[in-house]
Amino acid sequence: MHIVVVGAGEVGYHVAERLSSQKHDVVVVDVEPKRLEYVANHLDVAVVEGSGTSTGVLEEAGIRSAGLLLAVTNVDEVNLVSCMSARGMPGVFKVARCSNPDFYRDARNLKPDAFGVDMLINPEGELALETMRLLHSTAATDIAVFAGGAVQLLGFTVKSEAPIAGRRLVDIASEEGDRPLLTVAIEREGETLVPDGATKIVAGDHVYVAATEAEIPRALELLGYEAAPIRRVMITGGSTEAFYLAKLLTQHRVQVTMLVAERQRAQELAEKLNKVLVLHGDATDVELLELEGVSGADGFVALSDADETNILSSLVAKHAGVKRVITLVNKKDYVPLASRIGLDAAVSPRLSAANAILRYVRRGTVTRVATFKGSDAEAIAFEITSASPVAGKRLAEAAFPKGSIVAAIVRGTEVVVPRGDDVLQPGDTTIVFVLPDAVADVTALFPS
Amino acid sequence: MNLKEVLHIVGALLVWVAVAMVPPSVMAVFDDLTIPWAVTTLGTALTGGLLWWFTPREVSINTREGIAIVGLGWLVVVAAGALPFIATGVAPTVAGAVFESVSGFTTTGATIYAAIEDLPRSILLWRSITHWLGGMGIIVLGVAILPLLGMGGAQLFRAEAPGIPSDRLRPRIASTARLLWGVYALFTAVLAIIYLVLGMSPFDAVNHAMSCLATGGFSTRTASLGAFGASVQWVTVFFMLAAGTNFTLHYRWLTGRWLVYFKDYEWRWYAAIGLIAAALCFVALGLASGDWDASVRPAVFNVTAILTTTGFATADFALWPAVCQVVLLGLMFMGAMGGSTGGGFKVVRAAVVAKHTLGEIKKILHPRAVVVTKIGTRAVRSEVLHNVLAFLALYGMTHGIGTIIIAALGNDLVTSFSASLAAMSSIGPGLGAVGPASHYGDLGTAAHVVLSVLMLLGRLEFYTLLVLVIPSTWQRAGGDQ
Repeated sequence: MHIVVVGAGEVGYHVAERLSSQKHDVVVVDVEPKRLEYVANHLDVAVVEGSGTSTGVLEEAGIRSAGLLLAVTNVDEVNLVSCMSARGMPGVFKVARCSNPDFYRDARNLKPDAFGVDMLINPEGELALETMRLLHSTAATDIAVFAGGAVQLLGFTVKSEAPIAGRRLVDIASEEGDRPLLTVAIEREGETLVPDGATKIVAGDHVYVAATEAEIPRALELLGYEAAPIRRVMITGGSTEAFYLAKLLTQHRVQVTMLVAERQRAQELAEKLNKVLVLHGDATDVELLELEGVSGADGFVALSDADETNILSSLVAKHAGVKRVITLVNKKDYVPLASRIGLDAAVSPRLSAANAILRYVRRGTVTRVATFKGSDAEAIAFEITSASPVAGKRLAEAAFPKGSIVAAIVRGTEVVVPRGDDVLQPGDTTIVFVLPDAVADVTALFPS
Repeated sequence: MNLKEVLHIVGALLVWVAVAMVPPSVMAVFDDLTIPWAVTTLGTALTGGLLWWFTPREVSINTREGIAIVGLGWLVVVAAGALPFIATGVAPTVAGAVFESVSGFTTTGATIYAAIEDLPRSILLWRSITHWLGGMGIIVLGVAILPLLGMGGAQLFRAEAPGIPSDRLRPRIASTARLLWGVYALFTAVLAIIYLVLGMSPFDAVNHAMSCLATGGFSTRTASLGAFGASVQWVTVFFMLAAGTNFTLHYRWLTGRWLVYFKDYEWRWYAAIGLIAAALCFVALGLASGDWDASVRPAVFNVTAILTTTGFATADFALWPAVCQVVLLGLMFMGAMGGSTGGGFKVVRAAVVAKHTLGEIKKILHPRAVVVTKIGTRAVRSEVLHNVLAFLALYGMTHGIGTIIIAALGNDLVTSFSASLAAMSSIGPGLGAVGPASHYGDLGTAAHVVLSVLMLLGRLEFYTLLVLVIPSTWQRAGGDQ
């Protein structure tokens, strides 16, 4: 597919990278020549200099033959107008990134033909949602939710004291009976592998597990963790993500303390947020963190714009004994570092945005896509139609390519943990965990 | 400041007062007081007309003129309102007549008369009319009806009905004023009809309806609402509560937004405080008398009468247990909702002060906390907050000075304290020697003057009147800005 990406910032870059590696033709549009140069040097994409709001520039980028327009600059208005400029183009699915909470709420009420927007995405909101789920799932480093929360894919690091460490998957499955701990992927020494029954789990492995809400406590136990309720959370930074998270947490009756470095922003947040204690102070001010009871907090989330500040304040929180520490990391190189220096989980605005966008790139039978931080694997939810070659087949017979595994089958409101003799029926939704090489083959199994 | 322009509007106001004097003048035929009433009415009309005629028509109202019109306008109007009491010879002193007129226009309802039934019916009607005009505001009425006030109407509106700025019902201030007066008149008419159905005489019904919706307190009976039955009293409780509610809420309710009251932050405080106070008084009264059934209605009625700053009474609460009296004093201070016809400090201001105080305590626990005072989910701007705190200080100081003067005139502590508070908050009856079973007639000329000033200060919320005595107000525009 020909795809036009407007905006070569963090989000635009990452999305273009992702799409280009999946064999799409990507053209990146931006007003800043320096950024375009960087994109052109690092990615296999074409670049066009100019404003995405101009029809001429969009045409130069090949909007006429494009199937998708992704307007993902960090200015909402530019994104909306870009979609508007492409309104007359037939067959272009137009996605606009919209971060301003007020704008987002209002823009959702706009009829698609008012701005020509087919889809609004809010990466900051997505990140806040992901962070909250991470807080609640105690030990998970990654989380992706499917079928409205019925199935979750969680990433965990296996502890050495975990009961399953050093054992083969078949043995674990036979012991756990009806509801085995379904391991869909293992990340070991930088490699992602899709396991079979004979694969042995080793302490230190990063495993991806499919589980329903009710199964999560048992899964935690097997991996060597304890479940703990979240009652009080401290957030540092005054970013949009922090605003969304504070709002979400208070809605879930979690007591929130926010630490904001800029006086003006602190005032603004204090006015907008209810039942949140907003403090004006530096995130790395150890004395202040201690004064405000960081050690008594159940969770600590560092969401400022600076990676270094986030990592430092997270370390302080971890040192003070906070059980759950989540750190926002922008730079890709820092992501693997986070777990190595003892931080529980990292979130990345780049990834949240990519998740939100990739979900809509492969329309048709795809209902949801999730990506994970440490690996290039994706989890994709497909709807099975009668046209699909796997429809009506037993799972063992269905020819799923190497590098993919069915993580769950959702049938109505029921979630089936797949075994070889389960039959895939039309109307079911399957959640498939796929390595990048297998994406095209798997997608071919689910024609729309 | 252009005094001539101000006098032009004041002249128009006087003509309005004269028009309001027509119904009692007609009534006066039956009282054998035709001559004094005719003289008063025509005299007021003539003075007003001349002022209006011999001043320039071109009026440009800015903040200063606005405040001067309202301040001066009120002084002239209450002076004119005192004339019928003097002309008909029912007032023992001029100060007494002024006191009664001020008490009427400010919707206080404190009276110098011991036996109300002895007063001529024309005078009784005039007392209720002063309430009704003062309730929603005589200047606001002017803004609603007089086209020449259209331009600077907003300044006038703000000066007469201050408080915390609430949203306008209509973009144009004159339309907003018209809607508010419309709702006010409608409610008054509805209450009068209900009174008639419940068996009141037409005269009593009209007088009490006007007095009730204005949160006034003047009655045609010495026993106030105690002279009527239980059903009349319950209906009055309901309409007093309505009069103490922000009238913009009523308008929204009338236009089909049925739950508007419960969604309003200030109204929820108002209702909760009323309920708690009524419950407290009920329990205290029940424990003291042992007769629980007979304690419900007096507790609810008198608490409502004080909370809404109406000042009707069905019992002598000056004889109630001390705890009830303290609760009532607290309610006298707080008063009704902003945007209502009631007086007092106003519920919304009390809420702001309470929230702000809690915020200051929070700051002690969390020195780096960024504390924002909020009403509901809306942040209170710091200018508004400072205004409210300054208002609290003014309220406290003025009350203190008032109490000292009344006490210096030879009254006891409870009387002095409650009389000055009841005057400032436009309640009417206080405690001690000015309790509901008593009256203000014996306090003397000096006390009448002091209390009249307090009533005006409280009704116009200080600033409008205080600004009048600051010299720079009277300098020509362009002097100091």
